[in-house]
Amino acid sequence: MKYTTPTALTATLLAALLASAPAMANEYVQAEGSTLAFASRYDSELFTGRFEEFNTRLRFNPADPGSGRLEVLIGLTSAVTGNAERDSTLRTAEFFDIGRHAQARYTANGFRKVADDQYVADGTLELRGVSKPVSLTFTWNTDGERPVLSGRAVVQRLDFGVGAGDWADTALIPNAVNISTRVVFERP
Amino acid sequence: MSPRNIERWGGISQLLHWTIAVLILLIGVVGLVMGELPRSSRWFWVYTAHKSLGLTVLALVLVRIGWRLYAGAPPPVPGTPRWQARLASAVHVVLYGMVLAMPLSGWLYDSASGLRPLRWFGQLEVPKLVGPDTALADAARGAHEWLFWLLVLLVLVHAGAALYHHFVRHDATLARMLPRRLGTPPPREDVP
Repeated sequence: MKYTTPTALTATLLAALLASAPAMANEYVQAEGSTLAFASRYDSELFTGRFEEFNTRLRFNPADPGSGRLEVLIGLTSAVTGNAERDSTLRTAEFFDIGRHAQARYTANGFRKVADDQYVADGTLELRGVSKPVSLTFTWNTDGERPVLSGRAVVQRLDFGVGAGDWADTALIPNAVNISTRVVFERP
Repeated sequence: MSPRNIERWGGISQLLHWTIAVLILLIGVVGLVMGELPRSSRWFWVYTAHKSLGLTVLALVLVRIGWRLYAGAPPPVPGTPRWQARLASAVHVVLYGMVLAMPLSGWLYDSASGLRPLRWFGQLEVPKLVGPDTALADAARGAHEWLFWLLVLLVLVHAGAALYHHFVRHDATLARMLPRRLGTPPPREDVP
């Protein structure tokens, strides 16, 4: 090609790099050491659990939170609460109904900045075949070796039919389930 | 009449013995059946009843041990071979230990499971012995089950020996743990 001078080639490469860089720079995938936990009560006795299998993908630029995107896939069979009987009860049709819905999914498009390093994702949780809005409040910490998202959310379990039948009594199990997560990110 | 145990077991010892015996039978049956219930909060009262009765036995057996230390025990009936008297005493000591260990292992299992609060018959909050601990819960559950079958075995030996005394040897060993009007041993056929 007659236009291919060293200068022109450098300019073309530079333009290509610049075009792709912003998108690439804001894409993250979940790294080792991430946790997704939940806490509830049974007959006022506190218990906590965690999902051992979940996967998070994030697009986030603190300078432009509105362009952020979060997607979390949660393996419901991986829920452990430190008691085998409770864990197996969680898998039944009355709770997670893993025979029909083995995964839950949380997606959010666009975040709101509410304070320094603090954001809210007004996302949607798909759980047990039901989709409802759930807001995740999170902080974004880049002080360490890897960026860390620390978030909290409250899920109204009965909105999704989690704990139906005899378990629907909120005096026994409160409707609000507290979710907390700490996701360590790396570049894809 | 002295309530102490001189020749016969006194009324207090008898009441404690038979109350605990009946409760253990009841708790054992409930314990075997409750695992088959559908896992629903609707049936949790059965577990609460099992645990509450077990704690009741724990309290009663403590009273009983205290009473036995104060009131003593009647000596073996005359003519009992020494090895039998010793074996009987050993079985009694182990039975006391088992009747303590059963509710304690159950209580430990309940505490370590950390599933829900335990209220005695739904009324009195029972403190947890330990925090949630999966390994300890499994160990306590295993102990609770093994101790149960060992208890069944010992109770069979204990009751079998009492019946042997009553119907074969025709002595007062069982009768003196029964109210007088119930406790006449059947007459010996070889004695005119």
